[in-house]
Amino acid sequence: MSQVNTEMKGHTKLVVPKKEKSLLRNMKKNWMLYVMIVPGVLYYIILKYIPLMGTVIAFQDYQIFNGILASPWVGLQNFIFLFSYQDFYNVLRNTILIAFYQLIFGFPAPIILALLFNEIRIKFLKKSVQSLFYLPHFLSWVIVGGIVFELLSSQGVVNAVREWLGLETILFMQKESYFRSIVVLSSIWKNVGWGTIIYLAAITSINPNLYEAAVIDGANRWKQVKHITLPLMFPTILVLFLLNIGNFLELGFDQIYNLLTPMTYSVGDIIETYVYRAGVLQGQYSLTTAIGLFQSLVGFTLLYIFNRLARKTEQGLW
Amino acid sequence: MKKSFGEITFEVFNYTILILLATTMILPLLQLLAVSFSSPIAADSKQVFLWPVGFTLDTWNHILQNGVLWRSFGVTVYVTVVGTLLSMLFTVLTAFPLSRRDFMLRKPIMFAIVITMIFNAPMIPFFLTVRELGLMNSLWALIIPALISTFNMIIVRTFFMGVPSGLDDAAKIDGCNDFRLLFQIYLPLSKPVLATISLFYAVGYWNIFQTAVLFIRDPKLYPLQLRLREYFQAPEELAAVDLIMNELAFNTTTLKAATIIFATVPIVLVYPYLQKYFVKGAVLGSLKD
Repeated sequence: MSQVNTEMKGHTKLVVPKKEKSLLRNMKKNWMLYVMIVPGVLYYIILKYIPLMGTVIAFQDYQIFNGILASPWVGLQNFIFLFSYQDFYNVLRNTILIAFYQLIFGFPAPIILALLFNEIRIKFLKKSVQSLFYLPHFLSWVIVGGIVFELLSSQGVVNAVREWLGLETILFMQKESYFRSIVVLSSIWKNVGWGTIIYLAAITSINPNLYEAAVIDGANRWKQVKHITLPLMFPTILVLFLLNIGNFLELGFDQIYNLLTPMTYSVGDIIETYVYRAGVLQGQYSLTTAIGLFQSLVGFTLLYIFNRLARKTEQGLW
Repeated sequence: MKKSFGEITFEVFNYTILILLATTMILPLLQLLAVSFSSPIAADSKQVFLWPVGFTLDTWNHILQNGVLWRSFGVTVYVTVVGTLLSMLFTVLTAFPLSRRDFMLRKPIMFAIVITMIFNAPMIPFFLTVRELGLMNSLWALIIPALISTFNMIIVRTFFMGVPSGLDDAAKIDGCNDFRLLFQIYLPLSKPVLATISLFYAVGYWNIFQTAVLFIRDPKLYPLQLRLREYFQAPEELAAVDLIMNELAFNTTTLKAATIIFATVPIVLVYPYLQKYFVKGAVLGSLKD
């Protein structure tokens, strides 16, 4: 650009700006580094930036044969349609409710568990308990979904225990009233152990002298947790909270898709499963991209708001 | 130091609750293991808890002879091996220049990459892009989108940046170029972190599900997770015989249980390694924040 500019001025000498010159020189000198980065740069352009730019089809009436360039622009029509569409509200309500429960119950669970782990004084016991808690993290949601269905089926072990206690059989997976609790509980089961690792790392980095001083001052264990461990964990908790709130509406396709049955659509159909059905399977590309964009915007707005709040007390993400 | 009464009560309570909760992490699997070795009558009449009732190997015989299941198993092994190798190559090649101070585009490229962590493309534009690449019904659709995990790449980059620069100078004086510097000096030094990252990738590929749902429609190419999902939806397919006429000692309940165990065994086998390296990796990642 600047080269062209200098040429257009005509009389001025053709000077290559200093920065570009040194970039060229840098490229010549370290050309191997530039070769190395090519695959990575291509990956990010093709699989991250092109799809990101493809989001513009939310403002089009995208037709597969015309592509992005030739499809007609429709402005906000897709969004207007969405917000006048009963199904969307249903899906949105399900997503928000499940996301909210996940936040209320799922977010504090690993914090509490990490604190309890930290109170185990027998090393061997601590290790074995932790190993067991980490295991479900490595199982896919297909498997965890399969396990949940089997345990809760009419012949499953949960109903076996109910029968033994003299209670009637319940078809948990087909009842709307249980669906959200099952989602939250299964996600805690799968993720709680793994989630403790970051908090345990934060706890380990606390200076042990603080606890010694507290003991001399007569602080019992609870007081040590309340006045030392928790306050020093707070920055970690805050960062994780902000990262969480940034994708508040992204619940994870795998989990819900593997727990959902047509009987529980009314309470369990969320944005991701809906977008899959209406977008991928039925080809309503523009409409479902609009939903996706809406989802990201909500996450980003929440992140922005909470980050501002966080900066008032501690430091935020930026 | 003597413990107070309150402290002892707390410890007893804490140990009890943690041990109880920890067993719930493994009990479901043990119960299904017991079901998979039980007779169908016992399984369906809710008699099986943690020990097989009416012990039989028929279910497992049937599962292990299921060619379709093994085929999907093979697909998943293939994707995991090829994917992990390529991911490691891409990750290391990207992380190395980004860790070098003499690479002038380090900051802008790093910035552009971090942006993609915050702004993720919605499902549909991602789907359309990969389809445009012609990857529909190709196993590359499972590998290419997962080639680089930014999180892993940053862990490797941070590790590279911590390598003492004296080493570089010595290598450069010996006429070592950047490729040799990376492959002969940096990589051998980073074995622990590379082991961790490759496990992260391998588990990711092993459990890959959503991209398979999006792009793999041909049942012959179903990876294990997709096959499992299909079997859980329509367990009659697992039996592949007329169950009403069936004289064999299995039914859909025992078959589903056995399939779940079948898919879990590989993960459980490598679990000791997984755990050791993963915890390290997760801590590495968190320190980065």
